[in-house]
Amino acid sequence: MRRALPLPFTVLAILGAGFVVLPVVALVIRVPWGEARHALEGVGASTAFRLSLEVSLAATAISVVVGIPLAWTLARITFPGRSVLRAMVVLPVVLPPVVGGLGLLEALGRGGVVGRWLYSALGIQLTFTTAGAIVATTFVAMPLIVLATESGLRSIDLRYERAGAALGGSPWYVMRRVTLPMIAPQLAAGAVLTWARALGEFGATITFAGNLAGRTQTLPLAVYQARETDPGGAVLLSLILVALSLVVLIALRGRLAEAR
Amino acid sequence: MPLDVAVTVRRGTFAVDVAFSAQDGETVALLGPNGAGKSTVVEALAGLVPLEAGHVRLDGVSIDALPPERRPIGIAFQDALLFPHLSVLENVAFPLRARGTRADPARADALEILGELAPRVRTDTKPADLSGGERQRVALARALVTKPRLLLLDEPLAAVDVSGGPELRALLRQTLATFEGPRVLVTHDPVEATTLADRIVVLEDGRVTQTGTPSQIRAAPRTRYAADLVGVNLFVGSLRPGEAGAGDLDTADGTVTVPWPDGIRRNPIDDVIATLAAADIALHAERPEGSPRNVLHGPIEEIAILGDRARVRVRTSPLLVAEVTTGSVERLHLETGIDVWASFKAVEVHLVVPTAPPDTL
Amino acid sequence: MRKATRIVAITLALMAAACSSSNSRTTSPGGGTTKLTVFAASSLTGAFTQIGIDFEASNSGTTVDFNFGSSTDLAAQIASEGTADVFASASGKAMDAVQAKPGVTGRTDFATNQLVIVTPANDPGGVSSMQDLTKPDVKLVLAAVGVPVGDYARQALTNAGILDAATANVVSDEQDDASVLAKVASGEADAGIVYTSDVSTAASSGTHVRSVDIPAALNVTATYPIAVVTGATRSAAAQAFVAYVTGSSGQATLKTFGFGPPPAG
Repeated sequence: MRRALPLPFTVLAILGAGFVVLPVVALVIRVPWGEARHALEGVGASTAFRLSLEVSLAATAISVVVGIPLAWTLARITFPGRSVLRAMVVLPVVLPPVVGGLGLLEALGRGGVVGRWLYSALGIQLTFTTAGAIVATTFVAMPLIVLATESGLRSIDLRYERAGAALGGSPWYVMRRVTLPMIAPQLAAGAVLTWARALGEFGATITFAGNLAGRTQTLPLAVYQARETDPGGAVLLSLILVALSLVVLIALRGRLAEAR
Repeated sequence: MPLDVAVTVRRGTFAVDVAFSAQDGETVALLGPNGAGKSTVVEALAGLVPLEAGHVRLDGVSIDALPPERRPIGIAFQDALLFPHLSVLENVAFPLRARGTRADPARADALEILGELAPRVRTDTKPADLSGGERQRVALARALVTKPRLLLLDEPLAAVDVSGGPELRALLRQTLATFEGPRVLVTHDPVEATTLADRIVVLEDGRVTQTGTPSQIRAAPRTRYAADLVGVNLFVGSLRPGEAGAGDLDTADGTVTVPWPDGIRRNPIDDVIATLAAADIALHAERPEGSPRNVLHGPIEEIAILGDRARVRVRTSPLLVAEVTTGSVERLHLETGIDVWASFKAVEVHLVVPTAPPDTL
Repeated sequence: MRKATRIVAITLALMAAACSSSNSRTTSPGGGTTKLTVFAASSLTGAFTQIGIDFEASNSGTTVDFNFGSSTDLAAQIASEGTADVFASASGKAMDAVQAKPGVTGRTDFATNQLVIVTPANDPGGVSSMQDLTKPDVKLVLAAVGVPVGDYARQALTNAGILDAATANVVSDEQDDASVLAKVASGEADAGIVYTSDVSTAASSGTHVRSVDIPAALNVTATYPIAVVTGATRSAAAQAFVAYVTGSSGQATLKTFGFGPPPAG
């Protein structure tokens, strides 16, 4: 039997919900539906959309491939400085993205600590490139898959892994056939969160990779630029982003908060 | 000797030091209370923990340096531990696939053994949809599918409910009867040990305190735990001459009047062991009249019903475990906490004076 | 139930009060501190901050709050929110927009600025003239179309007849002159086009860039207008501020920061 919450709770909940929903509703109301197609062309919507997908999916793929082994190491292997490393891996989540972008500049920019070697020896410059946008986006998004994987690994009953080993599984076999399948739901949710963060990334991208249509101007950057020259177009672009994110989050159906 | 185990395993500050052996076709039960180190021995045999010292030899060959996946051991775990994301068939095929067998032959072998041990279980179901008994059958199949040299059973009946128990025990007996190699059964349940094992190794606090067949241990338990298991009270203490041909045995928690042993001079003797069958203790609501020399009084700590009998543990001085009928429990309104009188005759106490050598195997 | 209703009512009342108190300028002037809000183009950041300090020093009881940004951006904000007392723009177009809505009074041109090419101190792109901006592989950073300095830069490039070639070399459209300068100063870009005043500011703050002059014939003069926004609640203080900027002290400060004098007449 579902009982109602006390009235003040309900009121606050309604206020909270209203606060969150209002900006999105306002966007929908203010869309210049009449000139929508023209406005979208004006702000380079399709280019920005394609670029956003490209950058966010690439960043998610890299994050998953690198982040899962990293999380595994952090969760299962003890080594000196482990807690410091873990804190630093999670840092981009709390850092202002622009700060992350500045750090990336100092590290991987043409004059950066590692970047200068990349430039002089290999002729590679990451700033102002799509690859640079992917790097910036990966930097801010990867912590999310690391956190999800670590959390999954901690929640698993270790006895299953030991049983797998005792029954004849090598460590690699147990990881593949026992552990990974058992935490697959958490990994999936983590990957989706990572992608969502990658899609919305702005500060690190604009600081490290710059803003050029077709090369580095993802949807969030296009919105930022459009709001000066074409507010209606900016609203439309924003709605595209909102719609994309909503589709994904609804598909997850609350599994983001699920604990195992 | 097909199985030869002598291991020392360290668990933090706790060390487990165990040695035993097993023949082909012989079931050895490691019996002990929780925390005694039984799981540690299982893990050592399986290769999940390193040995501080000692060896595990199968057919004369050391396997203690081998990783778990190279040891020819089949294990059925406490709580079955079937992989929840795999079907029954995939679970049983797991040990074969892990060792490199291809999917089709592995599945065929798994189906075959499931047909023998768990014919009524649908092979495509997930473990969550099985009963406790069915899960243990599948776990047993998974342990045997690789046709291992050594079979390890870790508390196989622990997670099974009362109704499934007897059937599973029968299956286990049958399976053990047909398994050709040595078997090691780990349990805290003396009934399980007695009905399934040929020999019992009693494990307490990481040490072996006694080994023997079930009847040998019943006849002469060497520790209080072993005695409790077989329904015998054990007293250890110093014997001094008492009144009229009797003796007083002073134990750590009380004094018992016993007959003075024949042919022994009436001087104080140390390290005397005495046993008293639980069934020889009578319980009363009020102080009894009559001849018994030992009349004690104390609160009931625990009542365990075993069929139509009940074991009643009373915190008297010394502690006593009495065995009475369940009818008596009702008649006397026995329950934990209430005070009760316990009595037994001195002659019912059997002494073991330290001239006899300790019983070992 | 009644107690809960009361709590709700109080909560709503508190929120309403909080909302209204943010409009502090609607509280009575003349008693207590006057707070003046000035929206100014980001290229004026250094100069106006100094002017603000000087103005506050000689007008005790007045504090000046600045909002620096792209002039186009600020104009849009004023049009929709109307929260500025004074607007100083880097382009006439942006001021025109505010003049249209909500309107301005006392519009005066108070400074001029010109454009200059900047490169990192070690000149990785080998840029020494405007023509060099068309060299292949030169990484050029400009402000975006619609941002005054971005429009001016493209105008200058058009004057030089190299707009298309240079545009092909643009690697980033920044939001204001400060961002362009930052990208060049960090060494990531080979060249950028900013105001001459930005170079003075950079020098005084220790940022090292190298400048390359744009020939006067091709250069664009940006004229900076300033005005009191219609509807400003502190019109007296606003007018005083505008007067200060156009007066000798303000002009002297602007000159130190690299700005040129307003067009004569």
